Amino acid sequence: MSESFAIRTNDLTKSYRQFVAVDSLHLAVPKNRITAFLGPNGAGKSTTIKMLLGMIRPTGGNATILGHRISSPSENCRLRQRVAYVAEDKPLYGFMTVEQLIRFTRRFYSDWQIDQEQRLLAEYRLPLPKKVRSLSKGMRTKLALLLAFARRPELLILDEPSEGLDPVGIEHLLRMLVSQAAEGVTVFFSSHQLAEVERVADQVCILNHGRLGLNARIDELHQSYRRIDVVFETTPSERELAVPGIERIRSNGRQMTVLASRNADQIIRRARDLSAVSVEVSPVPLRDIFLETVKED
Amino acid sequence: MLWYKAWLETRGRFLTCLITLTAFCFIFVHHAQEIAFRGDGLSRAGRPADYYRLLFVTQQFLVMMWVVSVVLLGMGGLIRERAFGVSTLTLSLPVSRCRLFGVRVAVGMVEATALVVLPWCAVFLTSFSAGLPIRFSQVSFYIFLILGGGLSYFAMAILVSSVVEGEYTAPAIAFGLVLLTAIAFDAWLRPYSLWRLITGDLSIDRHTYLLSSGFPWSGVAVSLAAAVAMLFLALQRIRKRDF
Repeated sequence: MSESFAIRTNDLTKSYRQFVAVDSLHLAVPKNRITAFLGPNGAGKSTTIKMLLGMIRPTGGNATILGHRISSPSENCRLRQRVAYVAEDKPLYGFMTVEQLIRFTRRFYSDWQIDQEQRLLAEYRLPLPKKVRSLSKGMRTKLALLLAFARRPELLILDEPSEGLDPVGIEHLLRMLVSQAAEGVTVFFSSHQLAEVERVADQVCILNHGRLGLNARIDELHQSYRRIDVVFETTPSERELAVPGIERIRSNGRQMTVLASRNADQIIRRARDLSAVSVEVSPVPLRDIFLETVKED
Repeated sequence: MLWYKAWLETRGRFLTCLITLTAFCFIFVHHAQEIAFRGDGLSRAGRPADYYRLLFVTQQFLVMMWVVSVVLLGMGGLIRERAFGVSTLTLSLPVSRCRLFGVRVAVGMVEATALVVLPWCAVFLTSFSAGLPIRFSQVSFYIFLILGGGLSYFAMAILVSSVVEGEYTAPAIAFGLVLLTAIAFDAWLRPYSLWRLITGDLSIDRHTYLLSSGFPWSGVAVSLAAAVAMLFLALQRIRKRDF
C-alpha cells in the first residue's frame, strides 16, 4: 500500500535540557496538497523542519518523509534527493556567483528542469555573473526559490518563503505553489502571513509551544468555525450557554460574542432558549482561528 | 561538485598563501646565492655546505609559514557555515556529513601539499638555473618531512574548527595550540619535538647540512597517527552535532 502522507511524525520530541522545543508531535501531512505550518515565533516550526531533514537529532519519537525514516542517516540522505528545502533566512553561498550556485546545485539532482531554471531566471531577472553576497534580500529569496523549484521535488518544504519578496514576487510565489501542487508536488510551508495561507493552503497545522494545536483542512475549518453574536434581553451568565464546541465567549453587557469550532446550530438553539433577541452568525477568518489556537491560558 | 565548492571557498586563502610562500622561497634563494657565493674567488661548487645551510634555514622559515597557512586552510566547514547561517543549505543537499567532511579534508590536504611542493620546486628551479649545488634528494627530503610530520597541524585546525564556533575564535585557539605545543615540546620533550622533526633539525648533519641519518619514519608515523585520530574525532563531532 502506498503511503498517503508525505510527512508523518510520531511522538517527535526535541528538548534542550529543561526546554522542550517540540513536544510529542503527531503530525500527518497529506501528499499532493499544500499544507501550511503555522505557529507563533518560537513555537518549534523550524526545529521540526530541521529534525525532518536530519539537521537536528530528535530526543524522542520518530518520523518518516516519503516513506524514509528520518533517524537513519542513509535514508535521510536519500530523502533529501526527493525534497527541496528553502530555509527561513534563505542561506546561500555568498562566495559563489548566481551562475556558479545554480551549476553547483544542478549537479546533485538528476532530474533538474533546465527549462524551469531558464524560465525562472528570466522572470526573476537574476544577474548570473553577480556574487550572491551582493544580491538584495528579495533577490536572494528568488534565487533560493529557483533552486528549489527547478529540481523537480516530490516534497517542497519552505520556511517563510515570502519573506523579503515584494507584492509582485509574493503573487508569483503563490501562483507557483499552486501550480506545483497541481503537478503533484506536496508543499509544506511555514508562514506568518495568514492571508497568503488562506489563499493557497488546503490544510493547516498550527503548532504552539511545540505541540500540535490544530491540524485540519482549511475548507473544514471555514465550515465548522463560526462567530455568533448574540444579544439577550437580560444579562446572562456565560455558564448558561455552555455547549461543547465553544472556544471563547466575550461578554459586553447583554451582548455576547461566541467563537465556536463546531456545534454552531446547537449553540444558536441554546441562545434562543435563553431568550436571545438577536443572533448573527458569521464565518471566521483563519486569523481568528489561529489566535484562538495559540492564545495563552 | 563538493570539490568545486571547497575550492571556491578556500581558493582565496590558498592562492594568497601559495604566492607568499613561493615568492618568499624565490627571493630567499636569490639572497642566499649572494651570501654564500659573495665574489670571494671560490668556485660555486666549492662551498656547498654554506648553501645547504641556507636551504636548511629556508626550510625553517617555510615550515613556519606553511603551518600558519594550513591552520588557515583548516578553518571553515559546517561549524563556520552555521555561524554564517548557510549550514542549512549544505545539509539539505543529498550528501552525507561524512562525504562533506571528507571532501573538505581532501581538498585541504591537496592544497597543503601544493603549499610545500610548489615553493620547494621554486627553490629547486631557481638554484638549478643559477648553477647552485642542489640535490633533488635533499629537496624531496624536506618536502616529505613537512607533509609527513606537519599534516597533524592541519588535522588539529580541522578539529578545532569542528568544535569551536566563531570566525575569529577558532583560528585564535588553533594558533594558540600551535604555539603551546611548540613551547611544551621545546621545554620538556625536546628530542620528540614535532617542530624540530619537520624542520629537519633532528635529521641534519651540522657540518654538511645534508640528511645525516635515515628518514625519521617513526616520528612521522606518530605524527600521522595523531593526525588521523584528530580527523576521526572531528568527524564524530560533525556527525553527531545539531545544526
